[in-house]
Amino acid sequence: MKYTTPFLRLLPVIGAVVASVGCQESKTPDFRLNMVRMVSTETDGDYQQEIANVLDGLFGTPDQPIAPAGSGLDQAKLNLAAGPAWSDDAGVNHGLYRKHCVHCHGVTGDGRGPTARFLNPYPRDYRMGLFKFKSNAAADRPTDEDLHRILWNGAPGTSMPSFSLLASAEIEALVEYVKYLAIRGEVERALTSYVYDELGEDEDDEGRVYRIPLNPVDGEYAEDQREAIADIVADVSETWQAANESVVVPDEDAIPELDNRTAEERAASIVKGRELFYDKRANCYTCHGPTGLGDGQTTDYDMWTKEQLELIAATDSLADSVAEEREADDLDEDDLRELDRSEQLLSDREDVIATLYPIRNAIPRNLRAGVYRGGRRRIDIYWRIHQGIPGSPMPGVGATLSDEEIWNLVDYVLSLPYEAASIPQRALPVNAETLVN
Amino acid sequence: MSRHSDCSMYSASRGGFRRGWRLLIVLASASVVGCQQSATIGPVAQEEQARKIAEAFASASADAGGDEAGDEAGGTGWATLKGRIVFVGDPPEMPPYNATKDMATCAPGGTAPPQEWLIVGDDGGLANVAIYARKVSRVHESAEPPEEEVVFDQKQCVFLSHVCPIVIGQTVMIKNSDPVGHNTNVQGQNAFNQTVPADGSTPYEPQREESSPAKVTCSIHPWMVSYMLPRENGYVSVTGKDGAFELANLPAGETIEIQVWHESAPGGAVIAEGETADRLGWTNKGRFKIKLEEDQTEEITIQVPASALSG
Repeated sequence: MKYTTPFLRLLPVIGAVVASVGCQESKTPDFRLNMVRMVSTETDGDYQQEIANVLDGLFGTPDQPIAPAGSGLDQAKLNLAAGPAWSDDAGVNHGLYRKHCVHCHGVTGDGRGPTARFLNPYPRDYRMGLFKFKSNAAADRPTDEDLHRILWNGAPGTSMPSFSLLASAEIEALVEYVKYLAIRGEVERALTSYVYDELGEDEDDEGRVYRIPLNPVDGEYAEDQREAIADIVADVSETWQAANESVVVPDEDAIPELDNRTAEERAASIVKGRELFYDKRANCYTCHGPTGLGDGQTTDYDMWTKEQLELIAATDSLADSVAEEREADDLDEDDLRELDRSEQLLSDREDVIATLYPIRNAIPRNLRAGVYRGGRRRIDIYWRIHQGIPGSPMPGVGATLSDEEIWNLVDYVLSLPYEAASIPQRALPVNAETLVN
Repeated sequence: MSRHSDCSMYSASRGGFRRGWRLLIVLASASVVGCQQSATIGPVAQEEQARKIAEAFASASADAGGDEAGDEAGGTGWATLKGRIVFVGDPPEMPPYNATKDMATCAPGGTAPPQEWLIVGDDGGLANVAIYARKVSRVHESAEPPEEEVVFDQKQCVFLSHVCPIVIGQTVMIKNSDPVGHNTNVQGQNAFNQTVPADGSTPYEPQREESSPAKVTCSIHPWMVSYMLPRENGYVSVTGKDGAFELANLPAGETIEIQVWHESAPGGAVIAEGETADRLGWTNKGRFKIKLEEDQTEEITIQVPASALSG
């Protein structure tokens, strides 16, 4: 116990240090811009500021969210999910997003919370409105039920846990807040397109160049811009409100979801599913590999990564052309101004690229692991096969195969983890060809 | 990053400290570091301005449904814009697609077909340029969606239409003329990703207009690439190897902005050069404005320098 005395003597000092640390950084969080999008679309600093203002004007702040008119979002649910985490006297929990989600998905829903960098797969970035595991047409936004399901079950095989211990009102509030961040992110993307397409610099009759600001409050463009922005919000929200219309409901005459077949019937279905797996219509083996281990096509990327790769490629070629321009000796004043602009863009892009997490390939699922990120019910697998997995390279076969054939595939996929590992494959000619190539 | 100076204050250790104290101090400074914001760039909203915008939108719902018409009304009749898009410089030789599987189909004879990111015809015509009207107030019946389907085929693991214009309302029949399976993955607002069986087909109906062509890929054969451009009307033309385009029956008497797109131009925006481009007031977004008179047929030749297609 020789530490006791000095420990007691230093206790007040330690207390002071800890206290001062604890008090720091209580600043309220801000929504941040989608900088990959900003520099990809060459949105300059002034427009970035104006877009940030419009977004906060429309959607409020992380502490005080606004459900914009026409968005169909529920303000009361947003209020419950937003802001700092605390519980009131009645025991109602507030600030649910910051309590449960923010450390992975980030304040802005960009999938860049403090822990995100260390996770594989990276947490979902909501801002494209793209979600993988859902029940409706691939092009559509997920239904409330789809988002509710993944919060309830988590995503097995990823860092996304189950939140089934939360009260259902809390899950509903979080679903609404995820939709809010997704819609906000989509509106942000649409605003950058609007700025690029409609604003920018123009020339008056005397040849003077002037800039059209994004300012829906005052000035000669305010009214038009207010209308255009309201249209953007309505367009984005419409795709969310229509989500329930395209839910894929399997044909009742095909194999029922509740499975009361005999063992023989099921085995026959598995055999058919296995044939389809290697068939040129379904083509599953090309990506999931001849043995279903997910090792067929491992060099592709998901949509979130592709956007980053496109920025990196565009920046590389910009760097080349800037280097080339610098060498040239016949530059006039216009060329020099253009070169300055390109150099600025190049350095802005390099700053953004420096913040990206390491790039990873989209790896097809190992179907022998028995782990299904979007759920392991037969209907979950059916939806994955029917519509594909949006955002990932996985295509759907709903337009090609009959419902019964899709159920055959479901049966085969669900049987794969139990297929004997010592005889993974018969030597189908098609496998041999794939392996040789 | 300024917080680092605070940490060093705590970690300046006094010589006599024992191990346990050092640990505590390290922990304390670590927790200071932990409070730091991670590297964030870009502006945040200005509170005052955001508040004003919020107020403007809160009161806007009252005076909704304003006057849609009024801008640029008045023209009558129709006019045609046509011409050629010409590449200035030495076109690079296209290397073969980087085929890595299904070689018997995708690289018959050992070599895959050539890539298509810059195709120039014998007389300098620049192919695969999309040229289209951004906005029009009137649409001639010849620019309404045609009855017939658009056929979007693939053979030898190459999309046969490299840039495929579509008028919304048309059905695209995605075909596969290869003996191997493909899947067609369309990006953008009309996202679509379905398998297309060997010698089979699958229908696709884009619903939303794109402001520039959406990329189309195949997950099974990742080297395959092409583009689809769904537009609200038929005022869209894609050049072949002769570089020729025609936008027939455009509304006369109104200023129309024309977009010119090519996949190898940075951001897709083709920056033309020369007298015609100057006269048309070509912008760095690959656009120009034109106002045609009734029954006029304007014929132009647009010159695109090699440096404009370096993206």
